[in-house]
Amino acid sequence: MITTPDLIDALAANLAPVRRLRPPATRAACWLLLAALVLALLAVSQGIRPDLAQRSRDPTFILGTAGALLTGVLAAVAAFMVSLPDRSRLCMLLPCPALVLWLSTIGYQCLTNWVSLEPNGIRFGETARCFATLVLTSLPLSLAMLMMLRYAAPLRPTAATLTGSLAVAAITATALSLFHDLDATVMILMWNLGTAALFVGLGGAFGGKMFSWAAPRSMTRGA
Amino acid sequence: MRGPHGRAPPLTVVKGALTGEDALGRRASGPDRTRPAASDFEWSILMARAQDGDSDAYRRLLEEVTPYIRSLAASRHRDPSDVEDAVQDILLTIHVIRQTYDPTRPFRPWLVTIANRRLVDRLRRQGRLRSRETALTSDHETFQAGQANLHQEVSYRHELRAALDNLPPGQREAIRLLKLKEMSLKEAATATGRSVTALKGATHRALKNLRKMLSHRSEVQ
Repeated sequence: MITTPDLIDALAANLAPVRRLRPPATRAACWLLLAALVLALLAVSQGIRPDLAQRSRDPTFILGTAGALLTGVLAAVAAFMVSLPDRSRLCMLLPCPALVLWLSTIGYQCLTNWVSLEPNGIRFGETARCFATLVLTSLPLSLAMLMMLRYAAPLRPTAATLTGSLAVAAITATALSLFHDLDATVMILMWNLGTAALFVGLGGAFGGKMFSWAAPRSMTRGA
Repeated sequence: MRGPHGRAPPLTVVKGALTGEDALGRRASGPDRTRPAASDFEWSILMARAQDGDSDAYRRLLEEVTPYIRSLAASRHRDPSDVEDAVQDILLTIHVIRQTYDPTRPFRPWLVTIANRRLVDRLRRQGRLRSRETALTSDHETFQAGQANLHQEVSYRHELRAALDNLPPGQREAIRLLKLKEMSLKEAATATGRSVTALKGATHRALKNLRKMLSHRSEVQ
């Protein structure tokens, strides 16, 4: 086994200059810019839902979408904060108020839509497009988040994954509510809750493994 | 103090901070040398230089933080080799994520969080390993040389012979021919003059009786 003084010598001898990470708020802003870009590209390729103007007069819709968007923004900031060693773990609670707002509107829609559910409410074509939006939004954002948070691997993998996944899920839900008119059915609700649960659950279960894949090389060698 | 990428935040170096002198030029000695505030500021500057590629500052920083890390590790581990492993693990982690340190913030909380996370991870890993391991006792010992385990085999043989003697004659004969002499059913039937079915039944009953007798004995033991 190498002795500690030898290890220090080896580390100092192979020292390379590093770029300091930008402040968490700046990094979150970069990620959100990417999210905005993805949403813009989707808007160009798939088109905004036809009844957006009509829906935007519905306070529940506005509250729900704003809640999801705000959750996405705050969760992204929280993820970058919690990935740094010298920030408190309580940063994780940052998106909680927005999350409560978002989830409360989902619950309300769920009740009203339950009553007006029609037999032909769910169309397969729309569902497939919905799924495409889901994957197109969440996949690049998740990968970007994973690479940006890789330094959290030896520190707080679970906390960083949870907040990061929540950010991706919330942005995805925002995209779904902007591009698809499925909220007359229960499908959008399933996606809204399902994507959040899926990402948070998968993130919680495989967070450590995903980060060990994305972690800096010398970390896996050293551990 | 600006790094090769020109992004280093401006740092103010207090006169004497790197030489261990205070603002009046007196050299600190003894316990004063490790005053938290002073060493924190000093470590902060050393780390900022290390981020810019100054290997001397980095070596000095690592040498200075090692006793502090060791004291943190010693409070969680008892085995000295565990402590040294933990110290090296923490030093490697510091090396890998040194870009996450922001020189405008205090150094010590950054260091302590890393140290604590690595220590807790190590303890969890050790706990998981130990929960799956069983300590080796003399009961688990076997030896490769056959003779070493002979006394046990001999006692088993005696036990089996005694159990065989306790069987009714018909069953004993069936076991002797079919199992011990390894005859086929047909050969045994010719040898004893009994039918194949009768031999099969006798063997079945004999095995059942033997199992009952031997399991009874092992319970008594």
